[in-house]
Amino acid sequence: MKRRQFLKGAASAALAPYVMRGYAADPINIGGLYPSTGSMAQIGQACVVAAKLAVEMVNNAGGVKALGGAKLNLIISDVQSDTTVTRTETDRLISGNKLSAIHGCYASALTLIASEVCERAKVPIITGSSTDQLNKGRHFTFTPFARASQFAKAQLQMAKLVSDKPKVAVVFENTAFGTATSNGLKELAPGEGVEIVMFEPYSAGFTDAGPLINKVKASGANMLFSVSYLNDLILIVRTVKQVGLNIAINGGSGGFVIPDFYKNVGKAADGLLGVAHWNHDVNDAAQKVNTEYKKRTGEFIFEYAGGLVAQTYMLVDAMERAKSADPVKVRDALAQLDVSSGYAAMAPGGKVKFGPDGKNVYGHPVGVQWQNGDLVSVFPKDDARGKLLKT
Amino acid sequence: MLEIVAQAVINGLLIGGIYALVSIGVTLIFGVVKIVNFAQGEFVMIGMYITYFLGTQFGMDPVLSLVISMPVLFVIGMLVQHFLIRRVLGLNDLPQIFLTFALSLLILNVALMVLTPNYRTLHTSYSDAALHFGGLYVPVAKLIAFGVAMLLSAVLWLFLRSTDLGKAMRAASQNREVAQLMGINPHRVFAVALGIALALAGAAGSLLMPFYPAYPMVGQVFVLMAFVAVVLGTLGNVVGALVASLLMGIAESLGIQFIGADSGLIVVFLLLLATLALRPSGLAAGRAS
Repeated sequence: MKRRQFLKGAASAALAPYVMRGYAADPINIGGLYPSTGSMAQIGQACVVAAKLAVEMVNNAGGVKALGGAKLNLIISDVQSDTTVTRTETDRLISGNKLSAIHGCYASALTLIASEVCERAKVPIITGSSTDQLNKGRHFTFTPFARASQFAKAQLQMAKLVSDKPKVAVVFENTAFGTATSNGLKELAPGEGVEIVMFEPYSAGFTDAGPLINKVKASGANMLFSVSYLNDLILIVRTVKQVGLNIAINGGSGGFVIPDFYKNVGKAADGLLGVAHWNHDVNDAAQKVNTEYKKRTGEFIFEYAGGLVAQTYMLVDAMERAKSADPVKVRDALAQLDVSSGYAAMAPGGKVKFGPDGKNVYGHPVGVQWQNGDLVSVFPKDDARGKLLKT
Repeated sequence: MLEIVAQAVINGLLIGGIYALVSIGVTLIFGVVKIVNFAQGEFVMIGMYITYFLGTQFGMDPVLSLVISMPVLFVIGMLVQHFLIRRVLGLNDLPQIFLTFALSLLILNVALMVLTPNYRTLHTSYSDAALHFGGLYVPVAKLIAFGVAMLLSAVLWLFLRSTDLGKAMRAASQNREVAQLMGINPHRVFAVALGIALALAGAAGSLLMPFYPAYPMVGQVFVLMAFVAVVLGTLGNVVGALVASLLMGIAESLGIQFIGADSGLIVVFLLLLATLALRPSGLAAGRAS
């Protein structure tokens, strides 16, 4: 044996165990894009907790079996609640890592940008963001939960729970999320027999809800739809109380369906209605996730965080069937996803199957109500897990 | 209709009082020390958290907590002047801008880390209460905030008018070199100015707490309005900043009422542009500060 041959042989013998191990279970990189700083930091950080929880649950249960028990490796990137940063961070995440898929980014405005970048890079992105724009002309974007337009319909139907002749004032923040949601409301209201007496955008992050509520009062509405994130909504609900305005409030989704809302508004929040794309009482799997999340944070898992745990399991389901971590193959397998049990099926209705536009064909929102600090599903009938609290 | 206008003016005036406390601080620092304090909003935030913790830990009323938040921020102001701002005085503008801007980012991010980004609210017996007159209502917490803000502004005005230190401060703001020639120690005056300005920010924070949630970014919401008020009311002019703040509060509220709820700031900035076009040095140009 020549010296060179010997060295080669020795080297490969020495390295073999490492190479083999590497081959058997290369970790699978999943990107998580969340705004953990900036104006949406609070929700972004909670999403990160949930994303880590989901990956831990998958890994503790043996990883992706079709890939030799490969573990998921979550790479979190902070999009800073900013659209420009979202673009550069998504680019950086994709070019700097071999990613199989991405989930994110909470706010629709951010997700729209990330989704564009993912489409170009041919990396699948799965998201709970609700704007319908995410389902237009995209092939790598998957939205397992209800769309903004569906939220509107559910919200309008819920108005009938409160009054036979609902006169609704709609106030919404002037962002992608607010505009998409409220336009849906406006379009569908006549068909649902709901009269909209006021339709008003406002700039998010105001200092005083007084002037806005002044307008609501003047409109003579008996129900208020507020499409807002947390801070604005707290001010709106408290101001309504101060004015002494007797009006039922549907806070929609966003800031309304997170535990902090109740902590900030207190008892006054009991009885307020909302809609969510996910709730922790949808099924037993969700209850289990909720228990685990509660242990870590002391609070129930809110829609976006819970939904992204389900999304992680959908990705795993796709990888199991694709038997590959290649992003394009994962995308193709996601497109074929059809689940009705287990963690991947944690969704209102309990079924997920994507149509050609990346929408879950079974996707629909669930109507929720604050009851003693907990969020209870009350609408539609099939998803209701508790009785409607009359206020 | 008249009722709607009256209510809009009441709402605007009340929030204008809070803008005033923040903007008076900014304009005082600019007038006396000649630097722009970009971190003023973050000191409002600190004031809010002080009040929040005093409220939750010791059950102290937010208005009462002024006696702690104001002195604490006064001392922080003196320290900021002594250890930071003093070092960059006399240099050109850039280091000064970077200093206060960096201070703002630093405080903000430390707050995010230590205090977490969660919203925190303090409920008092009067948080959700309101006085009702006919069809009008006046939220009690905001009325208290407005009253105390006006009182503090009046005290500051008297201080600047009638005490030696106050006169020295005005002298230093009018002409630093001449003031120095007259035996005024600028660093002492500057330290007191910073102290007062930050104490006002602290007061704004304490007064906001009963009706506005505290979170690390909260200062940014108010500091933007404060900067507009400072320019509108002539840089360095305390009374100008006060009047401009109240005007802006009313303009914003009327804008929301009659143009659109997303147009409140448009009206405010139109007011600013119109003022800059017609009176480039602000509404109080040429008047004594």
